Amino acid sequence: MSIGGTLASALSGLTATSRAAELVSSNIANATTPGYGRRELITTSRVVGHTGQGVQVLGVSRASNLPLLGDRRLAQSAAGDADTRAAFYRRLETTLGTPDQAFSINGRVAAFDSALTEAISHPESEPRLTSVLTTARALASQLTAASKDVQAARTAANSEIANQVTALNSALDKANKLNVQIRKFSGLGQDTSALVDQRQQVIDSIAKIIPIREIQQNDGAISLYSPTGAVLLDNAPAVFGFAATTAISPGMVNGGALSGLTLNGSPIETSGDSSMITGGALAANFAIRDDLGVKAQAQLDAVARDLVERFQASGVDASRAPGDPGLFTDIGASLDPLNEVGLSQRLRINAAVDPDKGGALWRLRDGLGAATPGAAGNSALLTTLRTALTAQRDPASGGFMAGQRSLSSLAGDLLSSAAASRLTAEGDAAYTKTKLDTFTAMEAENGVDTDQEMQSLLQIEQAYAANAKVIKAVDQMIQTLLEI
Amino acid sequence: MPNLTLGDMAQNLILSRQGTSLKSALQTLSFEMTTGLTANNTARIRGDYAPLAGIEASLTQLAAYRSVTTETAMLSSVMQTALNGISDHATTLGAQLLAGASGNSPTRIDTLGVDANQRLHSVMTALNTRLGERSLFAGVATDHAATAGTETMMTALDSAVAGAVSSADVETAVNAWFADPNGFAATVYQGGAALSAVPVGPDETARIDVTALDPAIVDTLKGLAMAALLQRGVLAGSNVARADLAKRAGESLASSSTARAQLTARLGTTEAGIANAAVRNDSEKSALETARLGLLSVDPYETATKLQQTQTQLETLYTITARLSRLNLVDFL
Repeated sequence: MSIGGTLASALSGLTATSRAAELVSSNIANATTPGYGRRELITTSRVVGHTGQGVQVLGVSRASNLPLLGDRRLAQSAAGDADTRAAFYRRLETTLGTPDQAFSINGRVAAFDSALTEAISHPESEPRLTSVLTTARALASQLTAASKDVQAARTAANSEIANQVTALNSALDKANKLNVQIRKFSGLGQDTSALVDQRQQVIDSIAKIIPIREIQQNDGAISLYSPTGAVLLDNAPAVFGFAATTAISPGMVNGGALSGLTLNGSPIETSGDSSMITGGALAANFAIRDDLGVKAQAQLDAVARDLVERFQASGVDASRAPGDPGLFTDIGASLDPLNEVGLSQRLRINAAVDPDKGGALWRLRDGLGAATPGAAGNSALLTTLRTALTAQRDPASGGFMAGQRSLSSLAGDLLSSAAASRLTAEGDAAYTKTKLDTFTAMEAENGVDTDQEMQSLLQIEQAYAANAKVIKAVDQMIQTLLEI
Repeated sequence: MPNLTLGDMAQNLILSRQGTSLKSALQTLSFEMTTGLTANNTARIRGDYAPLAGIEASLTQLAAYRSVTTETAMLSSVMQTALNGISDHATTLGAQLLAGASGNSPTRIDTLGVDANQRLHSVMTALNTRLGERSLFAGVATDHAATAGTETMMTALDSAVAGAVSSADVETAVNAWFADPNGFAATVYQGGAALSAVPVGPDETARIDVTALDPAIVDTLKGLAMAALLQRGVLAGSNVARADLAKRAGESLASSSTARAQLTARLGTTEAGIANAAVRNDSEKSALETARLGLLSVDPYETATKLQQTQTQLETLYTITARLSRLNLVDFL
């Protein structure tokens, strides 16, 4: 031990404590930054020759908990998936409307039924027949509006997919570039914590879209895999492909007019357990576009078909030639069972009863095919129409449970199916949200604790003062020597 | 020493999450408190809207039945009034004819003829009664008056009885004309078939099928017309024959009184049916409204308690947040 050695040790102490103070300040500054990993200085005793001399700064460690991070990311994907589905069903339920709302499909059916009942009591009244016409039209347009809303939800999901695919590709590319930088700087022995923070944020943004697993490599770089094992980032980023469509109509499906998803140019599955994107918001959007939205449309079409068939059945209106369209038509034509998809959007009232389209109101009372008005008080046909509306019959399509029901209860079943799905989806969403909250809280517990940082700052102050004191003592010792 | 610290954000997250959930609970509870209904229908009925849809559909339907029963009840009551008027005329004239015919007094018979004509006119007017724009005794042809009027009928009858030499001939001719499909039914009656039934309640209909072609009304008209012919110069010159015709007319009116009573009773039964349906509909409406409340209402006491509790919790959370944010090492250094 020499005086020079003492001075060198004290100096190294000053350097190390300055670095530590710098980290404390950085930690405190980033106390509320999401994705920031708390930094700690790693020091060891410096060895000169065979003897220890001072302290050596090995580097900066960035606190992180990889398993927890992975769990949180999976929870984040699951929450994205459940939230997106729940939002779709909420929207569907709102569109269909609950029976207590006059604009709901149930409300429209009830209003139509009431209008018919009142018209039976007063068949010569123009206001009553007008009311039958307007309520029938309102029912048809409500089904059309609901169908348009379902298609709007599918269109929104489709453009969301396009946005998410763009975001995915850019995030994967960014993560790859950060990987390269981190590898370079860690090779040079520099602090890469800030870059790692950035990379973690980028990967978090991917985890909101699709589920991923992160594998740490020795050189500081990471690889990203899907839970099914597909490589998303390993030296080079994977590229997802998707072609956006501006507007979706009921007949458009995946594989037909709508684009599927590709990974590095080859098509991949977008649903099911074997799909690599299952369990994220992207998969939920594909589900809305290709499954949930299509099913909702099919059920709406089934209700529309039931409505058309009720009034088109033979025996409902003798003045009409067999096979001619009934009160509700497929844009003026009679129902084509092979062309059911999108029927709810093509539902129109027969022009023969619509004064705006050259028809006449009295045909509601006297028959669609009647050439001249009949007796003003004749309510026979109106009674038949009302019976047709309320009769119990089996829906021909739509995947409803078999069983006879009136149009009103069929509409109720349609709503119930959306409402029950919404409840399940919201239950899932609440569960995944709780899981995500728990993991996020656990992650936050490992974040910056300002109390602890202040405590270290006290230690650092003391250590700095002590090291300075040592230098002062050495100075005095040297002065003493020089005074001899 | 990874477990010896607790990140600032952890506390922040927990406090803000609790704050959010308490505030949303407060919003839900205050909605339920003010409306008395659950804020989340779907969750309350577990996604099964079938019962609620049924209740709402029935309630809307009952509102329609209400307007139909009111309307139909009014219709039948106006018809009942008209029928009572017709019946009064027929009974009064019938009695006068039977009493007056015995005297063989030409003046008396002439007066009876004038009276009969006036009463016939009143009856025909009653048959053409309208409620609003709706003709009551014309069946489905509600836009037409039920009869073409007294003069048309009497002119037709004049030619039908022309050449009759005895009161019996006149009666036969009058009866034949009323029974002939080309007689009364074709020349005087302008209405159509009887009205169809109208729904007045769930699975319940009422049918007001009275028209001016009803046998009771036609029989009444026969008697009145026979008496009215007296004023139009039938069997002129034979006092005895004219008195006998008056007697026959009086007998005809007397004999059709049972049919008139039955007609009034039939309409009365329909009226009672409609009134009963209206009462049943009203009680069904209350029952359905109660059932709907049962599906959707919340217990006000429970909600108020929960509201109070949530308010206390939120206040506590605010206190804790304030305390915890002061607990900071920086403030003590």
